[in-house]
Amino acid sequence: MKNRADFIVYWGGNPAECHPRHFSKYTLTQKGKFVPEGRKGRTMVLVDIRETPSARAADIFLQIRPGKDFEVVTTLRALLKGQRVNEAIVAETGTTVAQLQDIVDRMKRAKFGVIFFGMGLSMTRGKHMNSGAILMLAAELNAFTKFVCMPMRGHGNVTGADVVLRWTTGYPFGINLSRGYPRFNPGEFSTVDLLVRGDNDAALILGADPGATMPQPGIDHLARIPTIVLDPKVTHTSRLARVHITTAVTGISAPGTAYRMDEIPLPLRPALKSPYPTDEEVLRRIRKAVAAKPAWEPAPYEGAGIS
Amino acid sequence: MSTIRITGGTVYDPANGINGVVKDICIDGSRIVANVEGGRTIDATGTIVFPGGVDVHTHVAGGALNFARGLVPENQRAARKFLHGVNRRAGIGGMTPTTFATGYLYAGMGWTTVNEAAVPILSAKHTHEELHDTPIVDKSCLVLMANNEIVLDLIEAGEVERAQHVVAWLVWAAKVYGVKAVNPGGVAAWKWGKNASKLHESIAGYKTLTPAAIISSLAKIIEDLKLPHPLHLHCNNLGNPGNIATTIETMKVLEGRRAHLAHLQFHAYGGEDWPSMRSGAVEIADAFEKHPNLTTDAGAVLFGDAVTITADGPWQHMLHQLTGRKWGNLDVENETGCGIVPYVYRDRHTVNAVQWAVGLELLLLIKDPWRVYLTTDHPNGGCFWRYPEIIRLLMDKEFRKEQIKQLSENAQSRIVLGEIDREYTLFEIAIITSAGPARALGFSQKGQLGVGADADVTIYPAKATDDGMLFTYPRYVLKGGEIVVEEGEIRAVTEGKEFIFRPGYDEQIEEYIRPLFQKVYTMSFENYPVEIERVRGAEVITK
Repeated sequence: MKNRADFIVYWGGNPAECHPRHFSKYTLTQKGKFVPEGRKGRTMVLVDIRETPSARAADIFLQIRPGKDFEVVTTLRALLKGQRVNEAIVAETGTTVAQLQDIVDRMKRAKFGVIFFGMGLSMTRGKHMNSGAILMLAAELNAFTKFVCMPMRGHGNVTGADVVLRWTTGYPFGINLSRGYPRFNPGEFSTVDLLVRGDNDAALILGADPGATMPQPGIDHLARIPTIVLDPKVTHTSRLARVHITTAVTGISAPGTAYRMDEIPLPLRPALKSPYPTDEEVLRRIRKAVAAKPAWEPAPYEGAGIS
Repeated sequence: MSTIRITGGTVYDPANGINGVVKDICIDGSRIVANVEGGRTIDATGTIVFPGGVDVHTHVAGGALNFARGLVPENQRAARKFLHGVNRRAGIGGMTPTTFATGYLYAGMGWTTVNEAAVPILSAKHTHEELHDTPIVDKSCLVLMANNEIVLDLIEAGEVERAQHVVAWLVWAAKVYGVKAVNPGGVAAWKWGKNASKLHESIAGYKTLTPAAIISSLAKIIEDLKLPHPLHLHCNNLGNPGNIATTIETMKVLEGRRAHLAHLQFHAYGGEDWPSMRSGAVEIADAFEKHPNLTTDAGAVLFGDAVTITADGPWQHMLHQLTGRKWGNLDVENETGCGIVPYVYRDRHTVNAVQWAVGLELLLLIKDPWRVYLTTDHPNGGCFWRYPEIIRLLMDKEFRKEQIKQLSENAQSRIVLGEIDREYTLFEIAIITSAGPARALGFSQKGQLGVGADADVTIYPAKATDDGMLFTYPRYVLKGGEIVVEEGEIRAVTEGKEFIFRPGYDEQIEEYIRPLFQKVYTMSFENYPVEIERVRGAEVITK
């Protein structure tokens, strides 16, 4: 991106405020090997439902109506393939066919295009279908020119958690190990669903503050069950937890690895020493204590093809 | 660790010229010794004793494979499950097994050393983490170099000597064992949506640089650096009908320098387009015989599900367009890239049938088993845990001929497999699965059962199982002198080593690389090299 991208789309995100180094480090202002003019050599399009501070950095700001992301992406895909679209239906998205045709033309002319999408796309009406549609748009653009697409992830090392869970269990999130092997079903085993249904009877929380972000029934359940929080600071979750273990801050007073949104690992080297143990030390001690107890083998589940 | 005597088994140890001799194998600690007193005795009467298997080319760890795991949850759901136990971690088998399951599956089949064939430097830290989480087997890995733009710029400028120092610095920065070249120049061109399929034409984004120049320069650099494993080369033009011309030309471009041609099956197609595609195995095997400087692995295809994962980005886009199936693409800054497409090889599909035949034809037509090794380019041509199926096809011509009859007449007219009567012997199987790849990788302590070798031993029953397979369920597997598999069960989960090679280079080269890196990369230079402390179980080799 830094060296090649001449056409950059941010969709449903506000990087100026949420990923403040993104423009300057990776996408817009850097001079790249094949984009020697830097910002002048790149076109940036922002697609969002409201004019955020990121719009100031954009060459084109496309304001669409809330909940119409899927329709806009699908119209772009249709125009890309030269199909006819209905002006009246497009107008319902808050855009015009001329605007979208202009963007498609620019996309096709680009040498190296990139689309970033945020939670304004992936977590609004349509959800995973929106993500699927925008990924398809990027894939289909490769019939004309080089295009890539990447989600703008949330705060913290969420990408790292994703990566490690994939190599250890085969799945990125929403994993259930209660049968002794990993099962995956977002919507059934994802944290929010388990908590809201009240399925789990204990919780160990690491590097997250669900007490601040989950729906109220989920928060109520966390307060009801034995909840253990590992966190350097007092959080909404730690206040309702049965146990809060204060840990060192990874990257400041504890070493570790953080994954960038493109899944490139970066080493974290602590600048300070902490009187508190690291998350890893705490987990190892818990594991050792659990291992000292009699072994627990899950009852085999008939018909699962288990070896 | 203790002493063990394996007694009564029929030993196949090609590196030491032992072909089916009943003799004792003695182990003290992690090594094979001439004799032991006392200790445990394993009665191996009526069994076959092999050196532990060595996989010269597989994809079991790293960013690309891990991306694939996320892309195909439906495969994971259908795959074999591994329950967690007292000494065993939970996991999932299938086409892209989890790291722990990978260790159990390889060891469970009698393989004790694996070579991960594609590591980008930028994400090498990740690869090493995954390799550490792959238990039992010993590991090595190869860094991707043929599309690294710092190296490519130097080759274009004719500064081969400086390029050599850069390559050496990069090998040590990534903490790897060897160097892999994937579609030289083609992955760099793919960053512009282009490919590099002509060896002597300049590459998109460059004035004069050609794939041929990259290949010959890298082969020379690797030789001069005295890396134990020669340049590991994934040729240009993979998978395309008529690519035998490119592959044969690549052999010439190497001018007698050592190289390992990876997954040759994917580079051995005749014809001009998809309708006329046919096996080119005869031409490739002939050309290969004339170049004793080369080794290769089959990259054989088995019918059924696969996941194609390769740094060859342009090919993967093409495959996505061809199949309409899911496609994942990763570009790794200025070093490499990768593409992922799930795939099903069907026996009724003419192209797939030809691919299936070509892998076997190459294994059968190349006369010297010391130069061609058993692989499926896992998970590209099929899963590594299906190797016993290929072994059966190689050892049993009647079974092979029955399988050929299942193919369409159209497919049968495009292959030569039906005319080949060769049957592999157990001695030859021991070469292509262990002794040969160990030698190609430069692991003198592997792939053999002589005194002083690593005590990696697999004991197979001499009789095939009901499904005709001989090598699916070893009775015992010993890794570094420990019994890790007994009667088909994982008994001990040990941690394998990771072999890393440290080539010599001028330390000043770092000051040459630093400003170039800072100009084009997006991380700080200090964070680029893998710190040796991060590679757990590392065994550093220097020469």
